Amino acid sequence: MSTDGLTVEVSHLTKRYGEITAVRDLSFTVEPGVITGFLGPNGAGKTTTMRMLTGLVSPTSGTATIGGKPYKRLARPSGTVGAMFDANAFHPGHTARDHLRVYAAMGGHPDSRVTELLHQLGLAEAADRRTRGFSTGMRQRLNLATALLGDPRVLLLDEPGNGLDPEGMAWLRGVLRGLAADGRTVLISSHVLSEVQQLVDDVVVIRRGELVAAGPWSRLAGPPAVLVTSPDAETLAATLATSHANAGTVLRVDTVGPGLLRVHGLDAPGVADLAAAHRLRVHELVTENTSLEQLFLDLTTGTLTNDRAATS
Amino acid sequence: MTHLMRAEFRRLLATRMWVGLLIAAAVLGGGMIGAMALVGPENFDPPLPGLDTETGVRSLLGILGYTAFVPAAAGTVAVTAEYRHRTAAVTFLFAPRRWQVLAAKLATYAVLGLAYGLVLASTAAAALLTVAAARGVTLGLPAHTVLALLGRISVAMVVYLLIGVGMGALIRNQVAALCVVIGYLYMGETLLMMIPGVNMLYPVLPGGATAALTDFTYVADAMSEQLGSATIQLLPPAAGALVLGMYALTAAAIGLVLPMRRDIT
Ligand SMILES: Nc1ncnc2c1ncn2[C@@H]1O[C@H](COP(=O)(O)OP(=O)(O)OP(=O)(O)O)[C@@H](O)[C@H]1O
Ligand SMILES: [Mg+2]
Repeated sequence: MSTDGLTVEVSHLTKRYGEITAVRDLSFTVEPGVITGFLGPNGAGKTTTMRMLTGLVSPTSGTATIGGKPYKRLARPSGTVGAMFDANAFHPGHTARDHLRVYAAMGGHPDSRVTELLHQLGLAEAADRRTRGFSTGMRQRLNLATALLGDPRVLLLDEPGNGLDPEGMAWLRGVLRGLAADGRTVLISSHVLSEVQQLVDDVVVIRRGELVAAGPWSRLAGPPAVLVTSPDAETLAATLATSHANAGTVLRVDTVGPGLLRVHGLDAPGVADLAAAHRLRVHELVTENTSLEQLFLDLTTGTLTNDRAATS
Repeated sequence: MTHLMRAEFRRLLATRMWVGLLIAAAVLGGGMIGAMALVGPENFDPPLPGLDTETGVRSLLGILGYTAFVPAAAGTVAVTAEYRHRTAAVTFLFAPRRWQVLAAKLATYAVLGLAYGLVLASTAAAALLTVAAARGVTLGLPAHTVLALLGRISVAMVVYLLIGVGMGALIRNQVAALCVVIGYLYMGETLLMMIPGVNMLYPVLPGGATAALTDFTYVADAMSEQLGSATIQLLPPAAGALVLGMYALTAAAIGLVLPMRRDIT
């Protein structure tokens, strides 16, 4: 599906505002066909990076390209990239339709697209109301509609979930998944990990303007942990340890409580098979996701060791 | 460019600002000139020459030049609204060649300025000629000269609207820009004239150049008299037009060049 996908590339990007270095020697790529989360705590430099990607802010040094070209040199900028920043970027006296019609004209997109998007994004009823009365959810929808006017192959969305209620988030996830499934390149920033963890395939994590980690979510999150309930817990722990000393893989077994183990580095079938081979009883096996919040916290506070925070 | 102009027209027509502006033109043109003609300049305090004299007619029309802050303010509001409501970022996303955005705005607002000027001039002409006829006064200038002077005022209004656009692009903060534009045109220039020596610059300042268009010497004369200085000589109308044109060009150049590399955050 990603035959005509465009790669977003940030290379040695730096932005200084006087004393403050908002972004420092940042490099990463965003691939088509997947959703990439651009994560970092407040003030990490996410918005600044995305503004440099779209030519709104000039980098102090480094380059940011979309499909190999800087944004300003794209032949059809709004037909190639849909970007969304401020949730409040509307003239309060304009209706949703007015707003979209202005930008449809500006980008040379047909007016039929305006009606189409108003329906598609659930704004049909609010179409002719002035934006000053819009709720946060409606504003985010209108913002997204504006970004989608040119049916772009690349989406750069800065905190699209900001202020959305759970229902709104679920809706947004659905829309974004659909867009990525069509082979689009989707980058969404967030300072709240839990907001995007069910959504993103890849992640780029930055802190204080610098790259902390980048790569597929599954790799960065590490293998899932397995919670094992067994009356033979002690023996099982010892068996697991010796078997893996031979296999040479990294495995960690923590005793959580009486008869309860947490195994890192081996999945549930692996644990079950091993137990069966040694005639040990297992009453319950629960696959735990690595606490993603914990990972994010680790990444952004720098406690994570370098071998896991791979910087690809 | 046609895309950008279509977008700017849509933006302009989506709010009722343009209606208000044209109503203001009718009120200032027809309403104000009609009322002043009805009272008669000879009954002003201090009195001006009557409508049956050339100076009287020129003065009445010259006063219209002082309403130029209205279209200038409209231009300023229009451009700064993009920064105030933070749509500038969206606009520059859709049109990353920023000078084209400002060029489209200048072109669009030149049309609005022309509409403003035409409404102002035509209602003023109608009011002046009607009142003169009603009062049985023969105007000190032939009707076609009155219309020609009003035509020049219309063009001056276009220029002022563009100056407003340029200043808005320069200052960006709506309130600050409005204070500068209205403050200068409404009061600033007059205050400047109080400074000895500086008043010699009056003929080449926007107000002086506008006055030159209609050969409206009242302010210049009053100023010379008050300050006891040598008579301040207005430029010939054509030179006044040239000076105004230069102001518009400068404002446009500011509008085109300044946003080029500025960060939009
Ligand atoms: N125009 C500016 N002038 C000065 N400093 C700026 C400017 N814009 C951003 N900064 C600074 O650069 C740093 C990065 O800001 P940025 O908005 O990119 O962070 P962010 O990751 O988007 O944060 P948030 O999650 O709060 O949106 C911050 O320290 C911020 O104060
Ligand atoms: Mg931000």
